Amino acid sequence: MNTLVTLIRRELQEHKVGFIYAPFIVTCVLSLVVISVYFGLTDIQTTEFNFTTKIYENEQALEWMATADIEQITAVMRSGLVVLALPILLTVAFAILAFNLSTFADERKDRTLIFWRSLPVSDLTTVMSKILLVTLIIPLIVLPNIILLHLISLLSASIYFATNDIVPFGWVWSAYSFTDWFRIIFSLWAQSLWSLPLMAWLMFAGAFAKRPIMGAFVPIAVVVVLEGIVFKTNHIFHFIEDRLGFWTSGLPEQLEEVRVVDVSDIYLMFSTQDFWIGMALSTLLIGGIVYFRSRNNDYSSE
Amino acid sequence: MEREFAVKAKGVIKSYDNNHALNGIDLEVRSGQVLGLIGPNGAGKSTFLQAVLGLLNTEGELEVLGLDPRKERHKLLQKVCSITDVAVLPKWMTVEQVLQYVDGVHPRFNLEKAKSILSKTDIKNNSKIKTLSRGLVVQLHLSIVMAIDAELLVLDEPTLGLDLVYRKEFYSQLIEDYYDGNKTILISTHQVEEIEGVLSDAIFMNQGRIVMKDSIDAINERFLELRPNQESLERARSLNPMHIRTELGREVFLFEGTGIDKLNELGEVRPPFIADLFMAIMDKTKSEGQG
Repeated sequence: MNTLVTLIRRELQEHKVGFIYAPFIVTCVLSLVVISVYFGLTDIQTTEFNFTTKIYENEQALEWMATADIEQITAVMRSGLVVLALPILLTVAFAILAFNLSTFADERKDRTLIFWRSLPVSDLTTVMSKILLVTLIIPLIVLPNIILLHLISLLSASIYFATNDIVPFGWVWSAYSFTDWFRIIFSLWAQSLWSLPLMAWLMFAGAFAKRPIMGAFVPIAVVVVLEGIVFKTNHIFHFIEDRLGFWTSGLPEQLEEVRVVDVSDIYLMFSTQDFWIGMALSTLLIGGIVYFRSRNNDYSSE
Repeated sequence: MEREFAVKAKGVIKSYDNNHALNGIDLEVRSGQVLGLIGPNGAGKSTFLQAVLGLLNTEGELEVLGLDPRKERHKLLQKVCSITDVAVLPKWMTVEQVLQYVDGVHPRFNLEKAKSILSKTDIKNNSKIKTLSRGLVVQLHLSIVMAIDAELLVLDEPTLGLDLVYRKEFYSQLIEDYYDGNKTILISTHQVEEIEGVLSDAIFMNQGRIVMKDSIDAINERFLELRPNQESLERARSLNPMHIRTELGREVFLFEGTGIDKLNELGEVRPPFIADLFMAIMDKTKSEGQG
């Protein structure tokens, strides 16, 4: 256990810019934007997305706020906060992508692999520490950023609403569910498990290929094209497309037709064949990473 | 219970395509030996050390500290320490971080001891490794190794790329502060002259084979180098030296198994340098092969 903790701490020390600083900086920038909007310093209005206090000049909006019940307010607020936090998630996703591609390639390139392997840590433990980092630990690091952004947004909105006599200060807070913090973390963990085959593939490419980017994308492109030509199907492409999307694509297909999916539906993901195909593939890839890492001994001086 | 042999190898072979990097290595290294592996590039020194560390699959029998290095590598590395080129410490880490890391993963690492060794150097705990000079990185790596209570230390070209001062410092520190008579050390280096003073035993390797193995004491008894006086040149030649080389215009004769008393009459006698002995044995092997 101590070894695993030490390995994960080492990864966080090495990749603190991508995993710790970058999400925090994005959170700070987003918080400043939110504060600026509520304090009338700026507006964001695009064809896709509006974030402005001008909507509170609209009579209909004000009437809705006065009459909506807690559940309605919570639903609207929740979707707004999800959209607001997307840049943080995208930043971390990008950091994870870069990490997955480089983590096993860089240790070969800078020859630190020689040092790491001179210590009593098995290749399997090292690989598992990296898998645990991207699936379990990174979501835990992202969570406080999202919570901070939520709290700053709610506080700014409350102050704005109260000072402009729109609704009382506590209106926003009464509809904010603090249990959403659990919803977020479970959702992030579900997302990590859902995307694990892709993450493991990128790590695998870094472990075997001299040029990880080529190693990751060229074989996939070739296989997708071959499948199209030979079998006239595109299962692999759809598999990748699905795993790039939200974990909710892993839920039983008929569910979305019946009702809006919820984080409490995560357990249903474990009942699908798709999910377990992904897990089996991930296990194979992890085995491959361990194999290639253990064979990377080409640093001999003779 | 004290182990008699740290390393036992019998018929160890490592092949790449059709080339034998190791071609039937038979070797027993007694616990407490400081063994030098001497040979040209491609002799198989590093390959053998990698096999000892469990980094390579080999054919034949290989046992290190009573363990199969390939199958029980994790267990083995708790008892073995290695430095394969000193320039591999992660540059992004601080000294404190690397110490904490080793402390977290190595059950036999003594953090206090490492800090105490480092406190006698110019290395600051909060310095990043990339800001340290090569010499300081060597000291740091050596401090880490010295704070590990290992039974076997494997050094594969540990001072490659270092200047003379740091190389000397590395070996003197290693022997004075680390070696206690119980630990076994395997060293492979091209700078043979710098390690011969610290070796208890040596093996000469060429093309994946061991061409000679003996203790330094036995080598010094068995081989003698003679710089004969001008008038004794013919007499020296008649004693059938195993090798003759020229040094600054003067012939130097190498004898195997010839009594020192007989040679003393002919000129200046002393044990050969390991590097010269190695060259002589290589030349002899080559000429025997051609003959």
